Amino acid sequence: MSGLGPLTIREIKKWYRNPVYLIVGLLQPVFWIILFGSAFDIAKFGGPFVSSFFDGAKDYITYMIGGILTITGLFTGMFSGINIIWDRRLGILQRFLVSPIKRSSIVFSRIIASVVRIIVQVIILVAIALVIPDGLKISPSFTAVDALLMVAAVLMISFIFSSIFSIIAIRMTRMETIMGITNLVNLPLMFASYALFPPDLMVSWLSTVAKYNPVSWSAESIRLLIIYGNLTGSQMSTFASYMIYLLILTVVMILLVYFVSESGIKE
Amino acid sequence: MTIIKTEDLTKIYPGGTKAVEDLNIEIEEAEIYGLLGKNGAGKTTTIKMLTTAIDPTSGNAVIDGYDLRKDKDKIRRIIGVVPQDLTTDADLKGIENLRMIAAFYNIPRPEAEQRIKDLLEIVDLSDWGNRYVSQYSGGMRKRLELICGLVNSPKILFLDEPTLGLDVNTRSKMWKYIKDIQKELGVTIILTSHYLEEVDQLADRISIIDHGKILITGTPESLKASLKGDIVTMEFQSKEDADLARSYPGALEATITGSSRVRMKVENSDTELPRILAYLMEKNVSPITINVKKPSLDEVFLEYTGSSIDEDIDPEQFRRMMQNVRRLR
Repeated sequence: MSGLGPLTIREIKKWYRNPVYLIVGLLQPVFWIILFGSAFDIAKFGGPFVSSFFDGAKDYITYMIGGILTITGLFTGMFSGINIIWDRRLGILQRFLVSPIKRSSIVFSRIIASVVRIIVQVIILVAIALVIPDGLKISPSFTAVDALLMVAAVLMISFIFSSIFSIIAIRMTRMETIMGITNLVNLPLMFASYALFPPDLMVSWLSTVAKYNPVSWSAESIRLLIIYGNLTGSQMSTFASYMIYLLILTVVMILLVYFVSESGIKE
Repeated sequence: MTIIKTEDLTKIYPGGTKAVEDLNIEIEEAEIYGLLGKNGAGKTTTIKMLTTAIDPTSGNAVIDGYDLRKDKDKIRRIIGVVPQDLTTDADLKGIENLRMIAAFYNIPRPEAEQRIKDLLEIVDLSDWGNRYVSQYSGGMRKRLELICGLVNSPKILFLDEPTLGLDVNTRSKMWKYIKDIQKELGVTIILTSHYLEEVDQLADRISIIDHGKILITGTPESLKASLKGDIVTMEFQSKEDADLARSYPGALEATITGSSRVRMKVENSDTELPRILAYLMEKNVSPITINVKKPSLDEVFLEYTGSSIDEDIDPEQFRRMMQNVRRLR
């Protein structure tokens, strides 16, 4: 797809030349892990009984890391939308529109760059969670394949969120609108999911809603891998179904981005 | 040979604003064609339609044999565009911007590098290619924009207000660059402007556009000649004297303006002026002042649009310009 390469390179260059982006993108999840993750100690809270609610996680950081990685994808994905609006406001988009490139490459390049950013952030976050005292405790049976599957889950969820925010931005000219939308959806997406709390602790209507939230799919997939590594039959089928949901949604988003941007991206 | 031909090209924006209405123009290969008009006359909309940035509401155009509605990608390959706004990314180096554009056209790397080097040379930016665009001055930024439109060796180059917001000095330098580019590369250039002098200096042919319609097309000389005559203005002591002067038989048209001023249109002031003076002497009146005006594009514009061109920048343009200037810092 002509245009995708050079446009993605542009995004990545702008990102690594401005370390502030990376640092700001990391600070918030680091706070979540260190502060919120240490806010309550599962062991102190009631031992094995409570621990069973948390999928047998040794500590809360281990439980919530899958959720935090997912939410990092959500926050960073939002920037792909903002960048599209920036280019429109500054006039740079006009250059792209008169060039013989696929219209959708303008949007896909943003999404891909966003996914790359998220993967880098996720790697750094996992490293931080591992080194802090009382931090992340990965299952001893966690393999390289598990690591790849975890990356795949992060990849899909960040693709999904980046696509959603890009589609919103395709016709938009005002930065405030997308900021507003993002702020509006962040909280419900985060709390109406299994990102931070197990479904068994939730009021039943919330756990029902959370079941259909893609944040839950990704958070649960990562969690299963981290806590158990080697999955049992029923865990495996849960994991597989979440991954398949994510995959289906990713494909839907690819098609949606393609058609909306090919016909809809205008000055 | 005709390289661009439009057929009733029309753009109506949502809300019913007719920006361009039934535009029919023909542009010849390798000429510099100027679209002259006030702010909001439809110049930019015309350029945006011809460069495939926006779709026309109705009508069509043929650009180098390609259909504007059907062969957009083919047209994009053979045109170069320099929009009014700055389109380069200030966070990248000059050369990186140019390389990105070269990649849009799938130009092989060695060829692109040579091309970029040559282009930077044409606009005297060779030493600046490796610097970030954010460090460029306003004039340098515009020069970079100019060559951004030339990376793909286009057959046709569109320049939308290429000197908007530049000071007089920088502007005349830009004119030189534009002329050089036309000469060296042999491209057809379509230029819009609301600076009369700019169009007069650069364009081989001009169309005057107002309220989305073309009023007249021709060479600057033919447009001036179409006014048929020079203007002689004379001021007298009294109304009686002015009346006597007005009866000069060689005048094509003579009116009294003010209390005792005569405005006279004559075919050629060079030959007519001595005769006017002889006539006045014979009638025993003498003027206080005499002023002769050869037709300028200014007068042409006034004649066809009924108002003179406003060279000031309108507030919206000013806002965008300031936004761009801020980005330069």
